[in-house]
Amino acid sequence: MVLSKALEAHVESFISRLKRRQIVGSYEVAKETAIILRQVVSTTRWSDATVLIQIIKDLGRRLSAAQPKELAVGNIVRRVLKIIKEVVRGELETDDIMNSGTSEESDDGFSDDDEEDNEEDSDREFKSILAQDTNDNADHTNDAIPARPKLQTESSMFNLLVDQHSDNVDYSAKSYGMKPLIIQEINEEIIADLETVYKGIADQALEHIHANEVIMTIGYSRTVKDFLTKAALKRNFQVIVAETSPTLQGQEMAAALAAVGIETTVITDSAVYAVMSRVNKVVIGAHAVLANGGLVAVTGSQMVAAAAKHHATPVLVCTALYKLSPLFPYDIDLFNVCVTPDQVLSFSEGTLIDKADVQNPYYDFVAPEFVNLFVHNLGSAPPSYVYRLINDNYDSEDTIL
Amino acid sequence: MSTSNQSHEMSQHGSKASASTSEGKRKNQKTSRKAVYKRYNTLGQSSGSPALGHPQSGARKSLKDMTKAERRALQEQKVLEKQDRKAAGLPSSAKKASEQEAHRKVASPKIGSTANTPQSPAPDAEKQAKKQQKRLNEVPWLSHLDPPKKPNTASNTNKDLHPAVLALGLRFAEHKMVGSNARCVAMLMTFAKIIQDHKPPSDASFSRHIQKYLDPHIAYLLSVRPMSLSMRECIRWLKKEISEIVEEDPPLTDESARNRLVERIEYFIKERITVADRLIVENGMQKIQNGDVILTYAKSSVVEALLLEAKRSGYEFRVVVVDSRPMFEGKHLLRRLVSAGIDCTYVLLSSIYVVLKDVTKVILGAHALLNNGAVYSRIGTAMVAMAASDKQIPVMVCCETYKFVNRTQVDSLVLNEMGNPDELVVKKSNDENSSNSLTNWRDVPNLRLLNLHYDVTPSKHITLVVTEVGLIPCTSAPVIWREYNEEFRKGVQAK
Repeated sequence: MVLSKALEAHVESFISRLKRRQIVGSYEVAKETAIILRQVVSTTRWSDATVLIQIIKDLGRRLSAAQPKELAVGNIVRRVLKIIKEVVRGELETDDIMNSGTSEESDDGFSDDDEEDNEEDSDREFKSILAQDTNDNADHTNDAIPARPKLQTESSMFNLLVDQHSDNVDYSAKSYGMKPLIIQEINEEIIADLETVYKGIADQALEHIHANEVIMTIGYSRTVKDFLTKAALKRNFQVIVAETSPTLQGQEMAAALAAVGIETTVITDSAVYAVMSRVNKVVIGAHAVLANGGLVAVTGSQMVAAAAKHHATPVLVCTALYKLSPLFPYDIDLFNVCVTPDQVLSFSEGTLIDKADVQNPYYDFVAPEFVNLFVHNLGSAPPSYVYRLINDNYDSEDTIL
Repeated sequence: MSTSNQSHEMSQHGSKASASTSEGKRKNQKTSRKAVYKRYNTLGQSSGSPALGHPQSGARKSLKDMTKAERRALQEQKVLEKQDRKAAGLPSSAKKASEQEAHRKVASPKIGSTANTPQSPAPDAEKQAKKQQKRLNEVPWLSHLDPPKKPNTASNTNKDLHPAVLALGLRFAEHKMVGSNARCVAMLMTFAKIIQDHKPPSDASFSRHIQKYLDPHIAYLLSVRPMSLSMRECIRWLKKEISEIVEEDPPLTDESARNRLVERIEYFIKERITVADRLIVENGMQKIQNGDVILTYAKSSVVEALLLEAKRSGYEFRVVVVDSRPMFEGKHLLRRLVSAGIDCTYVLLSSIYVVLKDVTKVILGAHALLNNGAVYSRIGTAMVAMAASDKQIPVMVCCETYKFVNRTQVDSLVLNEMGNPDELVVKKSNDENSSNSLTNWRDVPNLRLLNLHYDVTPSKHITLVVTEVGLIPCTSAPVIWREYNEEFRKGVQAK
């Protein structure tokens, strides 16, 4: 578990920046975490997958503990773990197929074959399940011979709902082709993916915005900005931006949108309900999306979403898949962080700040019933589908690092 | 006909000189014809044109008396003036230009600076004039509302007004006095003072003249800041009082009419504002218990009185004060509550859902209560009421009956007040790189800032209204309005 000196220094610097909130924002955090983890995979000495998984888990625990509210750290760690497990599974399958017959692993046989075939697909998660389904039915008739455990008939449907393969794979098997594969996968799946996230979401903009629409947004989200900018190339619409006190991110967003040529109006947060009757759609960004479809977003988002619900205005959330977290909001305060109260009641007010309790939460929790659609880089999904996306991207064992 | 020839010649000159669009040509013809007729009909002085070297500098000769040469000189001078005005970016008609000059003196300095460079060619200046008009932060879907105004202290039409009204208007415009109760009381007391000081001209009786005398004062107050709905109700009531005095038979003497009006105003303030507030506090106290966490928004004088009274009576409760940009009225309330020893929390409106977890009731003030039971109040109130009612937290509105108005609004945009948009821009004066992303927002063609003052909270979010006549559901507002207006009228007549 000992990392090299240079890597340890890098990790320490990242941790202290996370603690001091010098690095804020899911994109930056995710990118840096992915790079660190790739370095860990390439530079540390590990003989088999179990050791590597343990190293990554320990490091992931350290990083998340540095800033528990930055859920992107944990998300990337879990993605990497899933990648490792899949690569290992893939390697073992190729080994198994080459070395032994199919009799012992008949349970895994047909399904692992499919896994191997579909390994190179980008949407392997979706396709593997679909392929499983068809092949399950196909092999049913072929392998109706005894010596198959009774569980077979149930597991074929069960496989649709649960990723069961983790029980059957032995991670301690040694395979030397894994390292470059894992590094390649991290590069492609995570780091390169991060770069194209904005484009993937922005490309869907024209499907959701019609002509002469009035869109409301809050806070400064690069995703939403790219989304609206792309739509503005072909459509004519207006944007109303709530200024998001006290950080006033909304004002920056408005300046950026107006610079691109979109007709923008800046309103105060208090005016959101008043002008909502004028708005056709609400588009917001998210800091993180939780397992029940709720989101953690900049403060004021819940207000906007609730006002939209009262006016029956649809709410779209533009978020990339790396922001998806398998955690449940049992206590919504767990995901909030309070920053300096100076922005709310400044120190220049004098003794007043001693006598009153001033709060300045940075995030807001938006319940899933207020969101109509998540627009992410691989398509769109309603909040009820989020659990499925989580299943595809993460392993259920890794929810607790 | 010499005059018609004159006008024809003038309009031709005017159109040649302008080199503008056809609409501009038509406008020029129309206004120049108007100007000609005006000069022909009255001997009044037209603004902006200097004396023509005429021995009598005071009155101007009508066109008939001038020789042909003099008339031509007058024409050419007018044409030159028009060209100058166009180059300066002002509209080409003399009347509109003078109006704009008065506006420009107090409007943004940017426009003033462009007006000082007459070197730009005529069509460009015309376009610039149009752009300047648009740049005054016109949010298109709110163009039916009055743009934010500035007090016109430079104009000499104000010299006829009572100085108390001028001072009051300045206080309103600078937001030194905010809040519907405060503004209403101040306005009524100022009017009482005006009535007290007023000496009618010798040919009119006091009762007949006071209405005419008060009208320009009311117009001035309207010009500095749109009237609050409750202020309008008060003025309506005052006008009714005045008309009743006029109808008195036998007619009252000046002295008694004056005294009666002042007395009535003082009675109104006492009955419907001061004593009403005390009754509201008494009625509202029934709803406060030990252990309450009360949330309030911005600053309402009645809610403040209620909370202070509750503290004085010994209840144990906490208050959450929610505030918002740009006015930060909640801070003043916070100061008062904290000095009374109340346990307070202070947050901004965007974080309201975080604090709503502990809140047991919400108490709000109102600016007016509309006929459909909706509450017209400080912007942001609708949000607070919606958030609380979604969580099944009772929302109480404290409102005096004089604020019940006989009009209805279903959304917040139909009637509202727009404040100064520059208030949204934060000026960090201590910072060197203090350029906020919006510091030069007027330069950006697509960017607009909107600073609304009021919003309408639909009645479905409100649990009850505390008034001096008791605790009522907000949908009973029109009933109360009717009862009160009839009864009040009867009470006055009985006197």
